[in-house]
Amino acid sequence: MVATTSSPPRTEAPVPLRLIQNPMHRALARMGLAGEDFADMTGALGTTPRETIYTQGTLKLQHYLPMVDDVYRVPVLIVTSLVNQPYILDLVPGQSMVEYLLKEGFDVYMIEWGRPRKEHKNLTLEDHVLDRLPACVAQVLRHSGESELSIIGYCVGGLLSVLYAALNPAGPLKNLVCMAAPVNGDGLVSLKTWMGKDFDEEALLEDFGNVPADWVQNALRALRPMGKVSGAMSLLNNMDKPEVVTSNLRMGKWEQDNIPFPGGVFRQMVNDFLRNNLLVKGKWQIGGKAANLKTIKVPLLHLLAQDDHITPYASSCDLVKLAGSKDKTETIVKGGHVGLVAGRGAQTRMWPALNDWLSQRST
Amino acid sequence: MTTNDPSADWSKLNPQAMWRDWVVKSEQQWSEALSTLMKDERAGGALNTQVAQARMMQKQFGEMMQMSLAAGNLPSRTDIEGLEERLGRVEDGLAALAAQVSQLTQALLARGAVQAEAAGVKTPTRGRKPALAAKK
Repeated sequence: MVATTSSPPRTEAPVPLRLIQNPMHRALARMGLAGEDFADMTGALGTTPRETIYTQGTLKLQHYLPMVDDVYRVPVLIVTSLVNQPYILDLVPGQSMVEYLLKEGFDVYMIEWGRPRKEHKNLTLEDHVLDRLPACVAQVLRHSGESELSIIGYCVGGLLSVLYAALNPAGPLKNLVCMAAPVNGDGLVSLKTWMGKDFDEEALLEDFGNVPADWVQNALRALRPMGKVSGAMSLLNNMDKPEVVTSNLRMGKWEQDNIPFPGGVFRQMVNDFLRNNLLVKGKWQIGGKAANLKTIKVPLLHLLAQDDHITPYASSCDLVKLAGSKDKTETIVKGGHVGLVAGRGAQTRMWPALNDWLSQRST
Repeated sequence: MTTNDPSADWSKLNPQAMWRDWVVKSEQQWSEALSTLMKDERAGGALNTQVAQARMMQKQFGEMMQMSLAAGNLPSRTDIEGLEERLGRVEDGLAALAAQVSQLTQALLARGAVQAEAAGVKTPTRGRKPALAAKK
């Protein structure tokens, strides 16, 4: 009775169309790559079996079906970013952090925030940190039958997890793992400059309600202006390595699949986080309560990427410095923001480092 | 591969691949240079002016196109977005149903009204120890 996701069946083209040779197919065959088009090569993404155990508006809380008979006692809740699709953490079998954690014996849950619609333009950080995230935490505890859990937050999801941890020092959080989580607005120099006093966020939100996905994508691309060109060149030079091509195409597909930024959260991020940098000052008021990093006392691991252009080191290094935890570790691995969680380096460096740290604290 | 190397295989030389390698290797410097330029407040101000103008143009163009598309009995971007929103609501509704089925299954399991195996639910034990601790 478990509802699991599956990709829809592919319909075959009518006979006359099938007789015409597909030029893309021909080109790919010449390069020795299987598949009829690029979509075939990436395959269906985010397919690790799971069930939806809770929803709230666009939010879906997923429970991944365990892959071992004996799991660690403490369940793991993954908090994804608000502006990116969560399947970057579960691309395909063999390139999936979720699958890796399941095979290592963790009981894994994931929050998918979903695509906000016009009616969600007023969603704020309070809605996320004081209502939606705690509701998911309660559901994970109910579903697993445990009294505490670990949270893994990625990018903006890491920031939300940090705020949750700072505002709930009494529990039930046992361990906090952040991956490329920004905490210092001053460290996001480019974004801070663009969204300075001349930037009119109210005009943007009046026009669109939420920040459109293509705006989010353009802003992220502008942080590394030549990145797209370099990626294309690198892909051409690796055409003889099918596994590199498919891995790149999967990540490329994800990079173009942004989610609109909820208007209310965007307004707070621009004013409180970027312009006034309130979090590191311990003055960020969330629902009338100050979120202070010093109140985080749980074991903390922050995983960072050496060449992260989206969350540069200056924006993320203060988490471990300022957190009140006695047991806190910062680990920097080679690669960029996306490669940190899904690249080839992630499989050999980041995931094992995460497993080593978290398994010791999950019994 | 140098000109003095007698074993040099010139047939494998690919100037296009070499050029692409150079682009990839120098991309970081290019991106850093452009990013440094854009970190300047004046550049930020200019960018904001451009963005505001682009937004205005997009809005005006969108309104103009909407009239033309309506005249041609074709859907506009607004119509497609409306459709996307409706599909989003349907998707959310289906997910809510799936969650309710899951919760119902959990409740039945808790009461012993149904066996985990029959319900297709895997219930692993929760006593796993880390590999290092297990060795000790």
